[in-house]
Amino acid sequence: MRRNNVRGPTSALTEYLKASGIRARHINRRGSNLNRGQNEQNGDGDAPDAGPSNSREAGDEAEDGEAGEEPSATRTNATRRRASGYNSDELDASEGDEEPEKTGNKRKGSKPAVAQQKAKEKEKAKAKKKVKKGDDEDEDGEEEDVYHALSKSLWSGSGSSKPPVGSFENCAKCEKQFTVTKYTMVANPGPGFLCHPCAKASGTDPFKKPAAPRKKRPTEKRAVVSFEERKFPTLASMCIDLITKHIDDVEALGDIGTLNAQAISKALSRNRKLTSEHATLFYHVSNTSLTFHDTTDLAPAALSTLARLNPNLTHLHLDYCGQLNNAAFDTFTDSLPHLTHLILLGPFLVHTENWQRFFSTHPSLECFQITQSPRFDLACIKALVRHCGASLTELRLKQVGKLDDACLNELAKLGEWQKLRMLDLSEPSASCSDEAMIELMGAIGRELRVLNLSKHNLLTDTFLEDGLGRHVSQLERLSLNHIPELTDDGVESFFTDWANPPLVEIDLSRNHELGSKALPSLLKHSGKMLEILNINSWKEVSEDALNEIAAYGRELRKLDVGWCRQVDNFVVKAWLDGNPDHEGWTGCPKLTELKIWGCNRITAACPRKKGLSIYGVESQEVII
Amino acid sequence: MTEDIDMQTEPKDTDWVCVNSTDGFSFLVRRKVAYASGTMRNMLDTESNYAEASTRTCTIYQRGIIVEKLLEYMAFRAHYESVGPKEEIPVHEFMERIPPEIVLELLLAADYQEM
Repeated sequence: MRRNNVRGPTSALTEYLKASGIRARHINRRGSNLNRGQNEQNGDGDAPDAGPSNSREAGDEAEDGEAGEEPSATRTNATRRRASGYNSDELDASEGDEEPEKTGNKRKGSKPAVAQQKAKEKEKAKAKKKVKKGDDEDEDGEEEDVYHALSKSLWSGSGSSKPPVGSFENCAKCEKQFTVTKYTMVANPGPGFLCHPCAKASGTDPFKKPAAPRKKRPTEKRAVVSFEERKFPTLASMCIDLITKHIDDVEALGDIGTLNAQAISKALSRNRKLTSEHATLFYHVSNTSLTFHDTTDLAPAALSTLARLNPNLTHLHLDYCGQLNNAAFDTFTDSLPHLTHLILLGPFLVHTENWQRFFSTHPSLECFQITQSPRFDLACIKALVRHCGASLTELRLKQVGKLDDACLNELAKLGEWQKLRMLDLSEPSASCSDEAMIELMGAIGRELRVLNLSKHNLLTDTFLEDGLGRHVSQLERLSLNHIPELTDDGVESFFTDWANPPLVEIDLSRNHELGSKALPSLLKHSGKMLEILNINSWKEVSEDALNEIAAYGRELRKLDVGWCRQVDNFVVKAWLDGNPDHEGWTGCPKLTELKIWGCNRITAACPRKKGLSIYGVESQEVII
Repeated sequence: MTEDIDMQTEPKDTDWVCVNSTDGFSFLVRRKVAYASGTMRNMLDTESNYAEASTRTCTIYQRGIIVEKLLEYMAFRAHYESVGPKEEIPVHEFMERIPPEIVLELLLAADYQEM
C-alpha cells in the first residue's frame, strides 16, 4: 500500500512524475472527467455511473488519437472486453476505501505501459493547464486517499521546476496571479503553485521551515566504560585445559601413581574443574579408595559411571555431591558391593527407600558419614542399625533435619555391639532432649572416642553429669559448641569428676556462660594431652584462667580464644614464652595456630614467634 | 675493608634469584619473575626471615624440565601481566609449548606454587 510509504524501485520517469505531483490516478480521473463531459456532450445515453470504467480508455483513445492509430485500435478491443471488470473503478475512485481493488486497478492501468507512458507524458502537459482551469473539485473531495506528507520538493523546489523567485505565476487554486517568492508552495494535488492565501488556506504554513533533516542520533558517543577484569590464566588452569584436551589419549599424559592421582584430583577440585571427562583419569578397576573433594560438576550419569568403573571400592568419599540422585545412588548400591566406608557431603536427593536398600545390601558397612540430608529419617536409621549395626564404627549424621529423640532411641540399639567409636550428631534442625541423649550415652558411650553433639541447644549440665560423666570413659575428642544451657559451675564440676583420661581435642566454643571456673578445671583434666582447644566466645573468662593455659599447654597445637575479652599481649606472651613467675609454666612450645579474632586488647605489638600463625590481630590502635 | 656488602638490602624487582631443581639444575631469574608464584613470593619475603629470603635461593622439589617450564610461565606472566588491555596475551601459543607428557606433573607443581 502506498500509505505504508514503502515503494519498490521506480524508473526515472516515474520519479520525475511523482516529483511534479502527477499520479497515474489523477491522470485517469482527469481523463475520465474529460471523457464524461464528452460523453454527455455526445449524448451517448450511457449511464453516468457506468461510464468511468470505459471512459479512461476512451480518454486514452482520445489522446492516442493524436499520436497514432495502431495502439488505440488494438487496445480498444482489449479494453472493451475488460470493460465489465471496471465497474468497481468508479466506486473505488469515489469512495476510496476499497484498496485491493484499487491496486488492481492501478496495475491494470499500467499494463499497456508504453502507450500509457506516452499518454502520461502528453497528459502531463495538458493536466497542468486543466488543473489551472480549475476542474478538479472532485479531486479535492478525494483527498483522503492521497498521500499527504509534503515531499521535499514542495519546499526546496529542486525536484519540480519552480519558477524563479520574483516571476509571476497563476495560482493553481484561485487562478489569481501572484509573485513567486521563496515561500511559494507547490499545489498539493497536481501541478502548479499556490498563492500565499491559498497556501495558508490549505492548512500548511508557508513560513514553516522545512523540518531539518532529522539528525541521526549520535550512536553512543559517550565512552562506555566497561570493566573487563583481566584475569591472567593460571598455569594450573592451562594444565587442566591441556589435560582436558588429551584426556582421551591417556598415554600422552604419562603414568600416574596412586599418590599422584590423589594429588591431581585435589588440584582439579581446588580449581573446581573436576568434570566427568577428568574424573575418568582416576578410575580403575583395581581402585579400592576414591576421594573427590568437589563433585559439583559430576552429573548423575557420571556418578553412575564412577561406580561402574571402580567396582572394587571399599572407601568412597564425595564432597558436594548434590547431584547424586536416586538412580546414581542405586548404582552405588548395586555396583559397589565391597563398600565399607562411605562419606558424603550433601546427598540431598537420595530418598529414604534408596538409603534403606543401600544398608540392606551392605551389611559390612563400617563408616557411614553424611552431612546435610533433609530426607534421612527414622526408617533409614532403623535400617542402618538392623543391617549394619554389627560392623558400624563411625557414624556421622550431621545437619540431618529429621533427627529427633526417636532416632536416638533407635541408635541406642547399637549398644548391643559396642562397636561405635565415632559419633557426630551435630547441628540438627531441632535439638534432642537430655533424657534421650543420656540414654544413648548409656547404651553406646563406653567405647566412644570421638563425640560431637554441637548445637543440641536443649542439653544441660545434667547431660554432662549423667550422660558423659557416668557413661563415657574413653573419649579423645569432644565437641559441644552452641549449647547455651551449660553453666560455668556445671562444666567445672564435670571436668573435676570425670574419669575419662585427658582429651586431645576440646571444642566448647560459643558457650557464653563458661568462664573462669570451667577453664582451669578443663585444663587440669585434659591440659597435659590437649592439642586442640577452642574456647571461642567465653567472654567472661578471666586473665588468670587464660594464663593457666601456659601452665598446661605443652602439647597444644591449635588454640582459638576469639572473643575472650581478657586476652591481651601479655597473655599471648605467656603462652608463647612461658611465665617466669611460675615455675613449670613453660607455655605452649608446639603452638602453630592461634586465633584471636575479636580480642580487643590485643595490639599490633602482639608477640610473634617463628612457626606460629596468629590470626585476627587488629593493628589499629586508639590513641587517647 | 672499605665497602661492606650489605646482604639485607631492600629487595628490588631487578634482583637476581636462584631457583634450583632437585636434579641439580639452577636457574637465575629476576625477583619480579619469581614473584609470579605466590609460594615463592612468600619464601622470598624478607620479613619472614626464611633461609630462602636471606640467601635468595629457592628450591622447587621438581625435575629440571618442570622447573624450567614453571619459570617459563613465570617469565611469561611477569612480562604480560603489566601490558595494556589492548594487547593480546598469547596464551594459546604458550599452551602449545607445554608438552602433554609433563602436564600432570606440571599441574601439581603449579598448584603448589600457587600460580
